[in-house]
Amino acid sequence: MTRALAFEVLRYLILVTAIAVALVPILWMASMAFKPIPEWQATGAALTWIPKAPTLDNFRYIFGTSTNELIATLDRTAVKPILASFLAAGLGTVIAMTAGTSAAYGLSRFGSGSNLPLALVQLRLFPPMAVMTPVMIMWAFLNFTDTWWGLALVYGIVTLPFAFWLMKTFFDDMPKEIEEAALVEGCSRARVFWRITLPMMRAPLASAALFVFILNWSDYLIALLLTTREWVTIPVYMASLSSSMTGQLYGAKAALGLIAAVPPVVLGVLIQKHLVRGLTFGALKQ
Amino acid sequence: MKDDGAKLGFRLTLPAQVLVLFISVFPLLMQLYISLTDWSPLAGTSWTQAWAMWNTFANYTDLIYDQRLWSALGRTALVIGVCVPVEFLLGLGLATLFMDDFPGKRAAYSILIMPMMVVPAVAGYMFFMLFQSGGPINDILSNLIGHPITVAWLSDPNLALLAVMVADIWQWTPLMFLILLAGLAGVPEDQIKAATLLGAGPVQRFVTIVLPRMKTIIGIALAIRVIECFKIFDTLFIMTGGGPGVATETISVYIYKIATQDLIWGYVAAIALAILIVLSIACVWALKRMART
Repeated sequence: MTRALAFEVLRYLILVTAIAVALVPILWMASMAFKPIPEWQATGAALTWIPKAPTLDNFRYIFGTSTNELIATLDRTAVKPILASFLAAGLGTVIAMTAGTSAAYGLSRFGSGSNLPLALVQLRLFPPMAVMTPVMIMWAFLNFTDTWWGLALVYGIVTLPFAFWLMKTFFDDMPKEIEEAALVEGCSRARVFWRITLPMMRAPLASAALFVFILNWSDYLIALLLTTREWVTIPVYMASLSSSMTGQLYGAKAALGLIAAVPPVVLGVLIQKHLVRGLTFGALKQ
Repeated sequence: MKDDGAKLGFRLTLPAQVLVLFISVFPLLMQLYISLTDWSPLAGTSWTQAWAMWNTFANYTDLIYDQRLWSALGRTALVIGVCVPVEFLLGLGLATLFMDDFPGKRAAYSILIMPMMVVPAVAGYMFFMLFQSGGPINDILSNLIGHPITVAWLSDPNLALLAVMVADIWQWTPLMFLILLAGLAGVPEDQIKAATLLGAGPVQRFVTIVLPRMKTIIGIALAIRVIECFKIFDTLFIMTGGGPGVATETISVYIYKIATQDLIWGYVAAIALAILIVLSIACVWALKRMART
C-alpha cells in the first residue's frame, strides 16, 4: 500500500515538473506579449514574470495603429504576412491533399503508382536546403519568387508525403463492400470514388487536411528562401522586427509569435486522435 | 472492368507523380550540371550557360578539404547524438507514467504535447528570449544557486550549442512521448498481468515483455527524429543564426550561408548532391535491414 502511494506521489511530482517545463516557455512569451516596454527586460531589479501594467500596445504596434511608445514606426504591418501565411499554407494544403488523396486511392484500390510510397518517403528524407537552389532558379525563371502561390506550390510538394500516407492508411482501413455494391449497381469506378468513397471519408479527409495545414503553417526555411518582401510569411516577418535602430522588439515579436502559435495548437487539439498516424506516416495507429 | 480500374488508377496517381518528378528529377539534373561548374547567380549569365565556367570535379575535390563543412557535419552529428537519446529516454519515461489511468490524465496529455505544436521558428524565438543574459533561465538558476548569475548563453561559443539542444529537446520530447505511448498501448495487457502473477517485478516486465514488442515502434520513432534532427534549421537559426562565429553551424545552416551569402551555387550543388547520395545509400541500407528482420 505504501509503495503504491509512494509511486502515485512520485508520478504526480514528475508530471507537475514536466508540465511546468512544457508550459513555461509558452507562458513567458504570452506574458511578454502583454508587457509594456519598461518590463521587457530586467533592469537591475528582478525579472517581471507577470506583466505589472498589462497592455495591448504590442499588438497595436504590429498592426500599425499605436506607435507612441516605440521610437521607430514599422514600414509595414503584420497584416500582409499573416495573410501570406494563410494563403500559402492553405493553397499548399489543397495541392497536397488533392494530389495525395487521389494517388492514395489509386494505389490502395488499383495498385497504380507502386513507386510512390518509397519516392515520397525519400522526399521527406532530404534536407530542403539541399534541393532549394535549383527551385530558386526555376522560381525566378517562372516569376514565382516572392508570390504566395509560388510558395504554396513548394509547400504542396513538401507535405505531399504526409497527405499521401495518411490517406492511404485511411483508404486501406475502409471496408470495400459498399464500393463493391455500388459497382454491381452499375456505377463507374470514377463515380464510386467521387460520389461514394470521398463523402464517406469526410472526417479522415478533414483531419489529414488540418494536419498538412499545420505542417505548412510551421515552415520557416522555404519562405525565407522564396519570399523577399511582398509575400513574406509570419516567421520571416518576425525576424525583421529587430534592427540596429530599435534593437530587439521583444514585446512586438512575442505578440506576433502568440498569433502564429494559436492556429496549430487549436487545430492540433482537434486532430489529437490522428496525430500519431500522421507523424509516423501511418505506420502506427492510435 | 479490370482495364477501367487500371486506367483510373493511372489518372489518379498522375498528379502526384508529376509533382514528385518536378521536385526530384529536374532539380537533381540541374544540381548535377551546376555542380560541375563555377556558376553563381552573380555570374551575369543564365544557369544554362554554366558550361562556360566548367571546372570538372573541382567542387567535389574542394569539399573533401572543406574544414567548415566537416565541422558542420560533426556538429550536426553531435546534436543528433545528444538530442535524440535524451528525447527518447524522457519520452519513454513519461509514456510509462501514462500506462494506467489516473485523475487528470487527459489534461496532462494535452498539455505535454503542446510544445510540438508550436511553430519551430516561434519556439526558436521563445528560447532566444529565455536564454538572454537577463532572462528567465538565468533568473531561475540564480534563485536555485542563491547568488545572481548572468551567463550569456547565446553569445558564448561553448554554451550556444547547448542552448540550441535544450530548445530541440523541449520541442521534440513530446513527439517521442506521443509515439512511444501509442506503442505501449499496443502491448497486450493480459501478458503483463500473467507476468505479474508469475512474480516478475516492474523492471523485469518492462525489459522482457514490453520492450521486445515495441522494437518496431522504437525504431520508427528514432528514425523520424534522426532524420528531422539532421535537417535542424528553424529554431537554431532564429536563436543563434549559426553563431557565435560558427559555434552552432549545422549542415543546413552552413549550406544556407554559402548559398545566400557567398552565392557559390556550383559548390552548393556539389555538397547537396554528395549529401543526397550518402543519404540515399543509408536509406536503402536501412530499408534492406528492416526487411530482413
